[in-house]
Amino acid sequence: MDTIIQTQDLTRRFGGLVAVNGVNFSVARGEVRGLIGPNGSGKTTLINLISGVYEPTSGKVFFNGEDITGLAPNRVAQKGVLRTFQIPRLFGSMTLLENMLIPRFADFSLDYLKQRGAAEERALELLEMAGIAHLSGHQAKTLSGGQKALLQMARGFMVEEISVFLLDEPFAGVNIVVKDTIMALINKMASEGVTFILVSHEMASIRQMCQKVTVLAEGSIIIEGTMDEIAADQQVIDAYLGGGA
Amino acid sequence: MNVTPELFLNFLIAGIMIGALYALMAMGITFIYSIMKMINWAMGEFYMIGSYAQWFLVSFFFGSAFWFLGVLATAVILFLVGLVVQWLLIRPMFSTGMERKDEYGTVVTIALALFLRNLATVLSGPNTRSPDIDLGRIMIGGLPVSGNRFAAFLGALIIIGLFYYLLNYTWLGRAFRAGSQNRVGIQTVGINVLRIDQIAFAIGVTLAGLAGALLAPVFNVFPENGAVTTMKGFEIIIIGGMGSLPGAALGGLLLGIVESLGSVFIDTGLRNVYGFIFLIIVLLIKPTGLFGEKERLS
Repeated sequence: MDTIIQTQDLTRRFGGLVAVNGVNFSVARGEVRGLIGPNGSGKTTLINLISGVYEPTSGKVFFNGEDITGLAPNRVAQKGVLRTFQIPRLFGSMTLLENMLIPRFADFSLDYLKQRGAAEERALELLEMAGIAHLSGHQAKTLSGGQKALLQMARGFMVEEISVFLLDEPFAGVNIVVKDTIMALINKMASEGVTFILVSHEMASIRQMCQKVTVLAEGSIIIEGTMDEIAADQQVIDAYLGGGA
Repeated sequence: MNVTPELFLNFLIAGIMIGALYALMAMGITFIYSIMKMINWAMGEFYMIGSYAQWFLVSFFFGSAFWFLGVLATAVILFLVGLVVQWLLIRPMFSTGMERKDEYGTVVTIALALFLRNLATVLSGPNTRSPDIDLGRIMIGGLPVSGNRFAAFLGALIIIGLFYYLLNYTWLGRAFRAGSQNRVGIQTVGINVLRIDQIAFAIGVTLAGLAGALLAPVFNVFPENGAVTTMKGFEIIIIGGMGSLPGAALGGLLLGIVESLGSVFIDTGLRNVYGFIFLIIVLLIKPTGLFGEKERLS
């Protein structure tokens, strides 16, 4: 399988703290990759670096072999690398449908005039898949935490070029129904060729969804492998339980 | 002074009229603040540019009969000036990953205000000017009202109406609203927030410039005429609630009324003080302003 996302010696410092330290990370096209590690291990920073929210201190990020290091988040998204945030970044005073259509029509183009019907149809289809289509006319700020997570995820799929979706803690604080819906969405879109990088503390979900898992600790990758392989690894146990040197 | 109901009504109408123009100015300040989270301290100078543009265009191009063409041309000029100024001075605070954005924004816009004020003095001299527009008097409910003021009021209402339509019923407006609600959120779905900033800044300063153009025949045109207007604009956005456009609109109207009635009931000389007293009263009752909301810290 060919590589869709690759990082090369990626490092990000915040003053004296090295949040991500020389990470070489690659994900194959069509994969659902798990990215785990204890709190403060650098998972979200890595996602921020890939999606352009942070610029790396050094190192490179490649997408489809193209160097996207230092591109603005909107340029990275336009290329097809989307992301979610643990705390959903929605447009609270706008309706769910407006939230869904923003990626299509907020770029000052006149696409709206000829594509509105198709875009609205697609938006409602995605909201239906997310189980929140009945709320499409409501303001996003009225949603529950789980519904907000679903909306944020569905909105990402409105970007037509999407080929990689970075999900930051999609299962955090959501109930079992929402969790199942999110997993169904991931499976559906993965079957259509979208690559996922899944940051989560939910080990059961990671085991269920991901063929391969990358473990970060103190900003570095300590192991990659199947869930069974990493669960048996002493470094991983030490990282989570605070053992080792 | 013997205050008759007619006199009270006359000053109330005058207050509402001038309040609409204040609202226009305050909406420009609020609009820029809500998207870029920066205060443009040079808004009064864009008001001043608008008033000079109207004086110049009416005096040398359109003539007093076609004063409204001057207002339209002023809008175009201010929009273009806004695009350029934002690109040159404001954009770097977002495009270069600057950490102290608010401090940069404050320093650079105060410097811009001083530059524009002095530039106006150099180009036009310290003299007071006024476009030759006289729309006579009209009668509202049996009360005489200055035609120039009424035209400025109507112009402000039309502009506020168009602005409201733009924000709520067009995708350009939705882009602005989305940008103001979640800057990172809109970037990470592929929208160029720097372009939103640039157009928003241009629209914001155009609103101030239009207030200047509409008021050019009412108040005088001189290099410092934006200073008091800026102060009133900031009073209004605090009265209305920081970042709230409806608050800016209502705050503008209320300030106009308070000033006008204060002038007739108390003392005309203290006109500019009433706004501050009103501001203090509002903050004592509702510290976030009329439409302001408490920010969630976690």
